[in-house]
Amino acid sequence: MTDDYLVELQDIHKVFTTRHLLPVDEETRKRRLFKKRDVYAANNVSFGIRRGEVFGLLGPNGAGKTTMVKMISGLVRPDKGQALVDGLNVDKKRKQVLRKVGVVLEGTRTSIWPLTPLENLIYYGMLKDVRGKLLRQRAHDLLDFIGLKDKKNVQVRRLSRGQKQKLAICIALIADPQVLLLDEPSTGLDVQSSRAIKDRIMEMTRDHGRCVLVTTHDMHVAQELCDHIGIINHGKLIACKPTEALLDVFSEQVFVFRTDKAPTVAPFAEIPGVVRADLEQGMDGPALVVHLVPELEARSAALYAVTRQLEHADVRLRAIAQRQQNLENVFLRLTAESDLAESQ
Amino acid sequence: MSFFLVMKAEIVRSFIIMRRYWFRTLTGMFIGYGMLMVLIAGFIYSRPEMEEGLNRFDDPTAATNFVLGFIIGMFAFGVVGMFTQGLQGMAATGVLEQLCMSPHGLAVNFMAQTVVGAVTSIISSGIMVFAVTWSVGGMLHWDTIPILVLLTLTFFNLVGFGFMVGGLVLVFKQVGQVAIILRMGLFALAVFAREEILDQPWPLALMLHLLPITDATICLKYVLIKNQTMTVMGPDGETIEVFRSLFLYPPFYWLIASCVLWTFIGLTVFRFMEDYSRSKGTLGSY
Ligand SMILES: Nc1ncnc2c1ncn2[C@@H]1O[C@H](COP(=O)(O)OP(=O)(O)OP(=O)(O)O)[C@@H](O)[C@H]1O
Ligand SMILES: [Mg+2]
Repeated sequence: MTDDYLVELQDIHKVFTTRHLLPVDEETRKRRLFKKRDVYAANNVSFGIRRGEVFGLLGPNGAGKTTMVKMISGLVRPDKGQALVDGLNVDKKRKQVLRKVGVVLEGTRTSIWPLTPLENLIYYGMLKDVRGKLLRQRAHDLLDFIGLKDKKNVQVRRLSRGQKQKLAICIALIADPQVLLLDEPSTGLDVQSSRAIKDRIMEMTRDHGRCVLVTTHDMHVAQELCDHIGIINHGKLIACKPTEALLDVFSEQVFVFRTDKAPTVAPFAEIPGVVRADLEQGMDGPALVVHLVPELEARSAALYAVTRQLEHADVRLRAIAQRQQNLENVFLRLTAESDLAESQ
Repeated sequence: MSFFLVMKAEIVRSFIIMRRYWFRTLTGMFIGYGMLMVLIAGFIYSRPEMEEGLNRFDDPTAATNFVLGFIIGMFAFGVVGMFTQGLQGMAATGVLEQLCMSPHGLAVNFMAQTVVGAVTSIISSGIMVFAVTWSVGGMLHWDTIPILVLLTLTFFNLVGFGFMVGGLVLVFKQVGQVAIILRMGLFALAVFAREEILDQPWPLALMLHLLPITDATICLKYVLIKNQTMTVMGPDGETIEVFRSLFLYPPFYWLIASCVLWTFIGLTVFRFMEDYSRSKGTLGSY
């Protein structure tokens, strides 16, 4: 354990048990009154977030991202293991921990609707022990920054969804927290605002030694914003690496050969140095997609062999392109692999 | 200390809301007044013997008694409601999650909210009590210190109970519906509570004492209506009225006991339920 981790999760387990009343079980067709189901929301999860780092938590719906956020903010207690914020156990030192974290939970209904954004910020600021001039100043600054300047004195009930989300972000920032937990913060935000918020988050973390945990379904945001990415599926952390390293996980090179007609794929897969070969139907005709090993010698030989094979198959070659590996592909492959492993 | 910080935030908030919805606040009071007057008229004239009804109308204490009971009942209904309806409402709006994440803890936040809510409701119902008793020609006796002490005790009596019900609602959201029945029960108890109902076999009397509003109402009526006088037997078998301070009045001590009991039960249950709900993962959500 290094002490520069601001947030640390150690061997966290969380199982949610739901019981529902069933006259007949759909799967087994047996009569039963209660059906008990266990859902893993966290299965032996450990990771840490350093000061000055933005950590992205990705995963399909129901993977356990929100649960993770709630465990760090003390709303859910882990069954086993512990969550630490600045070295303090969230469950035992909850009051101290809560002074250090700001949270945006999913959904927009965190603000008090009959109050205006300014009044909301003052109220929540007071609950977090920010007072007086500082509080007013900060409330105004935050609202100006996030683009709610002309809505300061309009009741929240009259704001749009995105504006409410912006207010929720301001509420999380009002006490100037060291740890910011954002659960799907960009839902409903326009391009300019999400960019502004992204910049602000970067600045906050880099320059002031804060740290941020953000969950999102937007791979572009994650790739751009996060220094470190964890992917979680069925409560299991299946990857946790710096963003660069994660993009290199499937480090084989992907090349696309656009042709005029579709060649048979099988011979290409047998070429040494080719990991995989697929046929894709593009807008402008068929394309052969081959994944090659990363070593230069083998790759070079394979590339020559592929072109020769294409020529041999009497296929005209329109273009050759290298496909950039992006987070979305990595994410899809990793989750698919873990689903497969799960089902076996 | 932290309690007062939260209090301040709550005062600011409820003041803003009251000012913003001043029309609703005012009409609420007028409607309350109107309803009470109608109820009193109904209460008095619905008696089959019209004559007796008329007699009763000549005796303003009966009406005053009823009004006061009614208002204490409303108060009890409201305070406990802040824990049940209020909690459900906040869960539905997501504000509850924010309160759970406040460093002061949910219980302190709740306490502050109810104190502020109770003070506002005491002020507005105080105005109503005086308006109504004045309209029916009754008289209330004012004695500042006993009344303040009583109001505080009554409040904690109810808050303890409220915390217990609130804790249950935190885990079993459906309890909210059952809680309405409990609140109605409290309301009825406040309307009918008077010294005489304690003349029961002791198990029943003990139960009445243990319920959260009985002694509070009896004490309040003792001060406000009876002006702290007791009817005692004179040496020659005649009845005489003597002044006996609230602090020498037995139900007052029952009230203190009941306060201690309910505050203890309430906070224990609430803590336990908050914990349980945290491990079930439903804290703050609906
Ligand atoms: N209080 C609860 N009781 C029972 N099951 C729960 C509870 N909270 C969450 N779950 C279950 O735990 C799993 C993880 O939920 P969680 O909300 O953490 O997912 P998520 O990763 O945030 O998904 P999404 O991307 O849809 O927001 C889900 O299968 C969910 O049904
Ligand atoms: Mg979620």
